[in-house]
Amino acid sequence: MATIQLDDLDRQLIEQLGRDARVSNRKIAAELGVTEGTVRGRIKRLQQERLIAFTAITGLEMEAKSRLAFLSIQADVDNVRAIGRQISELPLINGVMITMGQFNILAICLFDELDCLVNVASDKILSLPGVHHVETSIAVKTFKYNTRVARITEDGLITGLNR
Amino acid sequence: MTQKFNFDATDRSIVELLRHNGRATNQQIAEKLGLTATTVSSRIKRMEDANQLRVVAVSDFAAHGFSFLMEVAIEVDGRPASEVAQELAAFPEVFAVHLVTGRYEIDMLVALRDFDDLSHLLLDKFSQIHGIRSMTPAIVVDIIKYQFDIAPIEA
Repeated sequence: MATIQLDDLDRQLIEQLGRDARVSNRKIAAELGVTEGTVRGRIKRLQQERLIAFTAITGLEMEAKSRLAFLSIQADVDNVRAIGRQISELPLINGVMITMGQFNILAICLFDELDCLVNVASDKILSLPGVHHVETSIAVKTFKYNTRVARITEDGLITGLNR
Repeated sequence: MTQKFNFDATDRSIVELLRHNGRATNQQIAEKLGLTATTVSSRIKRMEDANQLRVVAVSDFAAHGFSFLMEVAIEVDGRPASEVAQELAAFPEVFAVHLVTGRYEIDMLVALRDFDDLSHLLLDKFSQIHGIRSMTPAIVVDIIKYQFDIAPIEA
């Protein structure tokens, strides 16, 4: 992985825009004691290098899916990527990671009614060929959920960890 | 339980434009949707105040020097799980902490810079927190989907 050189100004910009991206360049420039042109140039460079991307994050209520569950899945080791892809295409699933540990797939499910969760976990996922076991944990309280760091890809979409 | 926030079609159109370009000005959004800039501004503010919208710069893991991700399931003993969760949430490497139902009390996502980080965090930091009975880590070796733009928003 390439080492990326960022200076203090870059880090301050990332920090400030990470809190609110709608602040004007002028206001940021005044706060950081640099010119508006510097701010504009730095932001452009960070975007071009795919180190930052501007987007909107919405709360769970907007989608009428207000609950989150973690599905820990045991699937055939020799086919785990393909099974992971099938799971990622199911409705309500908004995250799928291949893991090493007691389970080999971790899926994140957003849902509103328990029926929907059961339908995805116990019916759809469990009936996929190669899936042997699904354990469901419902998140009852969120203490932290940092969405401000992710993987930024070439087409501007933000996806997983692997570049 | 908090009262549900109602989004209408205008809210959704504004959010859709912001997802593509979070730095579009109120004026640009207003022109595209046939609204006034004041309406756009007040709609955004209303959604932000209800903790249902954040317009932010998302930064890449690489910008912070993180190179791998891990899920850690935690069993708590002899202390309220919420207190343990709160202590864990204070670490910058910890990206998500949830109290969950099931075999474990806490589920968290941790980002790491290198392998040395792993022993340092697990043995020197996390294991010193009172009330942690066991930690079951799972190393993320591939991410197939990671849609984070719908999420619980902290106040």
